[in-house]
Amino acid sequence: MHEKGTSRQEPVVYVIDDDVSVRESIQDLLASVGLRAKAFESTQQFCSSHLDNSPACLVLDVRMPGQSGMEFHRQLIDQGINLPVVFITGHGDIAMGIQAMKNGAIEFLTKPFRDQDLLDAIQRAIAIDSENKRKAESLEKIKNHWNALSAGEQDVARLVVEGLLNKQIAARLGLSEITVKVRRANVMRKMQAKSLVDLVRLMDRLDE
Amino acid sequence: MQMLVNKQKVPRLIVVFLIMAGIFAFDTLTQYEVAAAVFYSGVILLASRYLEQKGLIWLAVACVTLTVVSFALTPTGHRDTGLINMMISIAAIAITTGLIVRMESALSAAQQAKDRLLRYARVKSLEGLASSIAHEVSQPMAAIMTSANAGKRWLTHVPPNLERVETSLERILSDASRASAIIDRMRSLATGEVTKKSEFDFNQAVLEIINTSKPQMQKNNIVLVTDLQLDLPKAVADRIQIQQVVGNLILNAIDAVNKVPAHRRNIRVSSEKRDGRILLSVQDSGVGIKAEDFPHLFEPFWTDKPEGLGIGLSICRSIVENNGGQIWAEHPGRKGAVFRFTVPACE
Repeated sequence: MHEKGTSRQEPVVYVIDDDVSVRESIQDLLASVGLRAKAFESTQQFCSSHLDNSPACLVLDVRMPGQSGMEFHRQLIDQGINLPVVFITGHGDIAMGIQAMKNGAIEFLTKPFRDQDLLDAIQRAIAIDSENKRKAESLEKIKNHWNALSAGEQDVARLVVEGLLNKQIAARLGLSEITVKVRRANVMRKMQAKSLVDLVRLMDRLDE
Repeated sequence: MQMLVNKQKVPRLIVVFLIMAGIFAFDTLTQYEVAAAVFYSGVILLASRYLEQKGLIWLAVACVTLTVVSFALTPTGHRDTGLINMMISIAAIAITTGLIVRMESALSAAQQAKDRLLRYARVKSLEGLASSIAHEVSQPMAAIMTSANAGKRWLTHVPPNLERVETSLERILSDASRASAIIDRMRSLATGEVTKKSEFDFNQAVLEIINTSKPQMQKNNIVLVTDLQLDLPKAVADRIQIQQVVGNLILNAIDAVNKVPAHRRNIRVSSEKRDGRILLSVQDSGVGIKAEDFPHLFEPFWTDKPEGLGIGLSICRSIVENNGGQIWAEHPGRKGAVFRFTVPACE
């Protein structure tokens, strides 16, 4: 959380439920514990709204006219949108709950639910999402650093992490040892790596 | 006999007994070798309309007995011919009785099967209703519990946020009355109100409802066209219930056209005589109905409105069918939807 970036923004809970009272009451409950919430009456409305990069989670009703919550969750997964989902349903059966959890839902709550259960699930979901966002952000940063390297520097970096000595790298790339040393220093600086071990770790994450 | 027969049918049974007595007298007093005894089978046929199975069998036994007694008492005549006549008569009585008994038991089995099917269908639809009620009521219940918890949490703030507590409490009140409204409507849907049929001026009844919804249409810039056929026969149905249906269809139409731009909001209400019935159509220029939604339109709790209970059209269907009519939806040529229903007409 001490990294500079968007993940330090205030978390937000997106509530999608076709029932206006359910939406408003959940917003009210979240406001009472100081959580920001945005409510939507349909998945379409949610999709057409602008989402910022704050840590977030989705509280999703299963049964809605038009697209059901379960379908929408699968659609998000298919589109590669990794937003933790807490399901709430008025007629949950076990099979549906199992399916939802298999799809990666954080929690499956049957209405009427205990407020603490919902709040706990939301806290968990937000923690997971901010971790996801933090990881994604730092990966993004590493990628940017990597792209800032020249082609020659990237070649040197690859051989450095293989454990080759400067002399060996110079021989392999047909460069002078001085050039390798300069490029190696540039790599360490531009990648913001404090040590060789650090550079290996950063490069590993790039490969993932 | 009293156990087996309805009291009102006693005079008719006396006629049956008189015929039996006539046949018996003829066979016993004449010399025609119990030739008339074969008519006892006619007696059995006649009596089958008034007697239950057991009574009928006893009557058949009586007829056979009378035939035998007549044969024994016949003073003169050819004995062999008499014997053959007696046998033929007894066989005729037995066959008639047997056929009637079998036919009646087949009929009653069919009736029982039909009753069972109707009961089953009713139980099934109530089961669906019950699970839907559970779902519908769980929405306001969830909202009530969540609002109450929110209210409690606002109270624990320092200082307590009483304004927010009040908002939560108000939401609780409105959701509680919503839940109880759902239950009330369910009750009337499940028990089914009794229809009081009468003859009435159909167009007049429709106009009354149109007039009550006119302010709402004007407010929403809806253009209303009424096209009521002037020389309609009188309708035979429950006037108030039919008005409920008309009102519901008009409200649905208003909801549908409110989703399109103001200059395209048209509703057309028309009545006409078709196939000896009165047909009412409510057509709107609204958003229309998706093809896949057509089969569900009249199912309880099916709705496409965020605020809807999904029971309006299902109640409309129960009412129209209870009044001997039919209700359905169609795609009009252009945009929108049209709902039509029929009611029986006089003549």
